[in-house]
Amino acid sequence: MSQTAIAQADWGGGASPFGVTWQKMMMWFFIVTDALLFAGLLVSYGVVRIATGDWPAQSEVFSLTYIAAMTFVLITSSATMACGVKAAELGRPARAAQFVWLTIIGGFGFLGMQAYEWTHFIQDGGGLLSNPWGSPTFSQFFFIITGFHGFHVLTGVTVLLVVAIRAAMGRYSPAGVENAGLYWHFVDLVWVFVFALFYLV
Amino acid sequence: MSSDAHPYRFYWLLWIVLLAVTLLMIAIEGANLPAALAVVVLLFGSAIKATLIIFYYMHLKFEHMGLILTVMVGLFVTGILMFVLPAYDGGHILESFQHLREYSG
Repeated sequence: MSQTAIAQADWGGGASPFGVTWQKMMMWFFIVTDALLFAGLLVSYGVVRIATGDWPAQSEVFSLTYIAAMTFVLITSSATMACGVKAAELGRPARAAQFVWLTIIGGFGFLGMQAYEWTHFIQDGGGLLSNPWGSPTFSQFFFIITGFHGFHVLTGVTVLLVVAIRAAMGRYSPAGVENAGLYWHFVDLVWVFVFALFYLV
Repeated sequence: MSSDAHPYRFYWLLWIVLLAVTLLMIAIEGANLPAALAVVVLLFGSAIKATLIIFYYMHLKFEHMGLILTVMVGLFVTGILMFVLPAYDGGHILESFQHLREYSG
């Protein structure tokens, strides 16, 4: 195979081995490493939960309907974000900005719901060192896992606000919308596992 | 994937599927299945949702094969290894504690 053919082949490398901009590639690398960080948290939660032996029934602590509503808000915001990225791809900046604003509203909605959930949890006696439901590690993992995820949502909302404000100022870039979208979907992706492993299992 | 007349339709169809899988998972949680089976089924449901989000909302399906493999190997293979091996270890620790309690009790 000639050098040119190798460079053009899927595995030839060349100037752009993944066929994407460096910004998008770095966003993907960040997402993979951050996902493994969350996997580490969820795995440590699983090991401690199994090793502890007695773990409170989540249905006695949380309202599953409420958590399902939080999930609904986050999935819906992911759908509006996907539409925003599509609009940006189609060269419709005004429509893309509208979808980004809708996503921001969804993000704030989720954060507000989480703040309400935390308030109730703390008022019911849940603390870092103890809780009325049993093993203190239960409330510790609740604060760490949902708090870390909530921090990611807050970061995502901040990034989306920057994208929306830049769009309003006429400094719009479809690549910026796409990268912000990748991060936002990642936040939704992590919640899929937090929801299943922490609230359902 | 989406027609020019309805460019966003596909994403809303996917939204319906994701919500349906979520509702199904909640129903499974309430069905009082054996714990181990419930964990497997719920993880399977999560994997379906995650795959749909990564491939379609995040457009990974339409990226270069090198990027697809890098992400998938990173996320799934390592993720699965991280989940399966320590879970076994957790069971072992629990057994050790139980033996210790029996011995000291």
